[in-house]
Amino acid sequence: MIPLKYNLRNLRVRWKTTAMTMLGTGLVVWSACLLFGLVDGLEHSLKISGEPLDLIVMRPGSTNETTGGFESSKADQLLTLPGIARDEAGHPMAAEEILNIPIAVRGDGSRTNVIVRGVQPASRRLRPDFRIIEGRDLEPGKGECIVSPATSRRFRGAQIGGRLDFGDREAYRVVGVFTAGGSSAESEIWADFQDVVRNTGRSGSVSCVQLRAADRAAYDKLREAIEGEARFKLAAIPEPVYFQNQSRSGVFLKGAGTLIAVLLTIGAMFAAANTMFAAVSTRTREIGTMRALGFSRRDILICFLGESLILCALGGAAGVLAAIPLNAWTYETSDFNSFASVMVAFWLGPTALSVAIGMTLAMGLFGGMMPALRAVRLEVIAALRER
Amino acid sequence: MKYLHYILRNVRRNPVRTALTVASTGICLFLMMILVSFFAMSDEVNTGSRVHNRLATLNANGFAGVIPIARVKEVAALDGVEAVTPFSWYGGKYKDEVMPFAMFCVDPDAVFRVLEELTIPKDQLNAFRKNRDGCVIGRKLAKERRLQVGDPMPLKGDTYPVDLNLTIRGIYDGPSDRDLRMCFLRYDTFDEAFRRVAASSGRDVSQFAGNAGMIFTKCKNASAMPAVSRAIDDLYRNSDYPTRTQTEEAFGKMFEEMMGDLRGMIRLIGLAVVFSLLCVAGNAMAMAMRERTTEVAVLKAIGFDRGRILFLVLAESMLVAGSGGALGALGSKALFAWVDISPYTAGFLPFYYIPWSVALQGLGISLFIGFASGVGPAVRAAGLPVVDGLRRVV
Amino acid sequence: MGAASSIELRSVSKEYHRDAFTIPVLVDLDLSVAEGEFLALMGPSGSGKTTLLNLIAGLDRATHGEVIVHDQDLGLLSEAQITRWRADNVGFIFQTYNLIPVLTAAENVELPLLLTSLSRKRRRQNVATALRIVGLEGREHHYPRQLSGGQEQRVAIARAIVTDPYLLVADEPTGDLDRTTAGEILDLLQLLNREFEKTIVMVTHDPLAALRASRTLHLDKGRLVNDVIQEARVPAAS
Repeated sequence: MIPLKYNLRNLRVRWKTTAMTMLGTGLVVWSACLLFGLVDGLEHSLKISGEPLDLIVMRPGSTNETTGGFESSKADQLLTLPGIARDEAGHPMAAEEILNIPIAVRGDGSRTNVIVRGVQPASRRLRPDFRIIEGRDLEPGKGECIVSPATSRRFRGAQIGGRLDFGDREAYRVVGVFTAGGSSAESEIWADFQDVVRNTGRSGSVSCVQLRAADRAAYDKLREAIEGEARFKLAAIPEPVYFQNQSRSGVFLKGAGTLIAVLLTIGAMFAAANTMFAAVSTRTREIGTMRALGFSRRDILICFLGESLILCALGGAAGVLAAIPLNAWTYETSDFNSFASVMVAFWLGPTALSVAIGMTLAMGLFGGMMPALRAVRLEVIAALRER
Repeated sequence: MKYLHYILRNVRRNPVRTALTVASTGICLFLMMILVSFFAMSDEVNTGSRVHNRLATLNANGFAGVIPIARVKEVAALDGVEAVTPFSWYGGKYKDEVMPFAMFCVDPDAVFRVLEELTIPKDQLNAFRKNRDGCVIGRKLAKERRLQVGDPMPLKGDTYPVDLNLTIRGIYDGPSDRDLRMCFLRYDTFDEAFRRVAASSGRDVSQFAGNAGMIFTKCKNASAMPAVSRAIDDLYRNSDYPTRTQTEEAFGKMFEEMMGDLRGMIRLIGLAVVFSLLCVAGNAMAMAMRERTTEVAVLKAIGFDRGRILFLVLAESMLVAGSGGALGALGSKALFAWVDISPYTAGFLPFYYIPWSVALQGLGISLFIGFASGVGPAVRAAGLPVVDGLRRVV
Repeated sequence: MGAASSIELRSVSKEYHRDAFTIPVLVDLDLSVAEGEFLALMGPSGSGKTTLLNLIAGLDRATHGEVIVHDQDLGLLSEAQITRWRADNVGFIFQTYNLIPVLTAAENVELPLLLTSLSRKRRRQNVATALRIVGLEGREHHYPRQLSGGQEQRVAIARAIVTDPYLLVADEPTGDLDRTTAGEILDLLQLLNREFEKTIVMVTHDPLAALRASRTLHLDKGRLVNDVIQEARVPAAS
């Protein structure tokens, strides 16, 4: 085999061409990482949002909390069901929650819909790793709210000490910033349950009840009771399943990401081919010499394919490296089910990385194939005569 | 253009390289057209909606708020109003598909006067008005799902706990930049069913029943719009459900604003693609010029000045990138005019096309890429000392 | 003709700088070439003959001294002016022909005419004339790779004369050709010198080629060592 050193030296000698090709392929890989990093982030957030023993209780037939309202009399009874897990203080880990989707104004003046979730004390324990990182938690009945860091940064009035105004009758004072392990709760504004009920004039109903079963057996019994007993006739949806269904907005990201990755890979493939064709044609005599020295056609093929792969791998690595700083970035868009704002923290995770590797391999192999075959087909004598 | 044939010959000199560069540019621009059109198209449609003089009235609190149905009549009575319909999002399931197409509860007497650009045969419209179980669907929806007038349309509630077994009474048509996949059902039918379901469950739904969701108003003319808009909001300012009325254009823009960072991200990707193409095209041009060093020296010896050499190289590089751009930009325009991709977007895009403004922009971008990527090699070629260039061969 | 001085070099020096070294190529050279002369420059490799040719042709500039061609002091011209001057006054012939491979014979010859304001029709006529003079009628639409070496050099000569320049410079015009073909090319140069009254400066290391010139200069280490004015040999064949 022709030593790898030969390829590396050649890439270094033609460093300008190498750098340009790297930049070209690198940007392409970076673009794909941008989208698939969001896919990863979204899926990660939905995955950690779904606790295996948690149930979301909604009106049957509804697929979303925002539209799943039912009577609060039923909700009150749900909280007393046996089999619900208890926290250290002995309180049941179950909460009635109410959702409202008012219009909020971003820092740049544009508008979007945000989820305001009226919560009860237990709601916090039902989210992964809930903690207040700045300010304090809200006190019930005082018209206070807490927000996530991303929300705080993005919306007008959502900073500690600020006031979120949603029309004439609904306003909350921001008293704290919370995180919830990167779960979907971080897209929401949290206020007191009773405050939201009062402000929206929706007494007598809740949007959903969140609860955690004490164990597997209790979990099954709870589901049976909620869905089967005549006094409830509600849907108890396992949290992981619920969030799986919410990933529909990820479909768009995935679709767009795939389109971008595929088309850009083809584009970059051609660019790599261009570079490799030039490499082959300027080294025609060298190829003839190597063949004369006794290297086989297969050696030549591997040599040029290898060089193409190295070239694209350098570009791909540059693209991935350039995508790492994006990990600090939170992306905001709307969910296509509820039309409410969702925050997705970018994560250069397994999907993004495998897409990047796949693209790099495809570019290197397919882009290098034609030029390498041209090198292989060169006749020794003719190649040596080449000027 | 006495130099044209020389430039063209140079473009064809290394056909593989030119083809690869053109293909690379073309594909990347094709992608860019798809991404950019997404927003440009909705901008264009929003702006285009101006001619219809329509207003959209929502609860001041947004989609989740309530607009009492009685207000439809009150708005209709205002001066300058031509027709009014409730436009309530039913958001149900068809068979078991979640939200397969948009379903709106409307007033059958008014909806086709408000949405004047949609057409429906008179007898079908009359059938829709006479039959309470009727619904009307768009031509494309009918075609894709092989539905005909008289077919059943079973809908299951998702947003509302109301199932409806309807019958298709008509199929509407309209311009290609309108959603031809909606399903219109009668508001009265829906509301009656909702009250019935609510009553049987013993639940107090007084605030949810009779919610028009949104009121869609067509004004008699454009000059009446500001007054009507103000009149509506003034009317309900001090009620339990204050309203916010905006033009259809502003309403559409609100949906775009909801997309948040999507627009910025698409712009970022577009920018990355342009930079990537700069490298690709610049590389190809640099390689081409490196091979032609002696030729350039000869041209200069013969008396071609710097300006002419610059021009020759830039023209060549713009021609190559421009061909790629034409292929990608105009090709995508033609492709999407010919193939309707909206059925494959899961109802996300009701229609899709590349606006001319975007296609021309794409062409411009490709010419810019050609220019910018050619500058380096061109300046190098123009500045090449003749003696050095000639010496390289000998 | 004859009396007026066509090319005048006054104490011309040329140095190259490479790293810290100064390499003298031409040293304090004086030369006068009359109008209509056919001058051959000879000398070993590195003697400075090509550099001298480049100075006369306006491709390169002297470090010291004056180069005056056809009453024009080349040192006074800007880069753009000298380019224009070359287009109007000098025709180039190279050892490796240096034709543009993607252009046909006629298009190659037309190239310098693109710099003039001549109409397309006039350009065609001039190209046809030039190709007739070099004896290549009927080959107008051949590409360089479809021509033999001698034919390629004829195209190059046609390209050099198509603008009717005052001076022809040729750098080893027969260096890549076999003896017979070389003879034919030299015949052609002699014809241009005699019939069309072109002043020709030719670098060569072939003594037989030099014999066709009316004067031979020998250079060594950047100095003139020998200057022979001769009765140019009439080609044996004609």
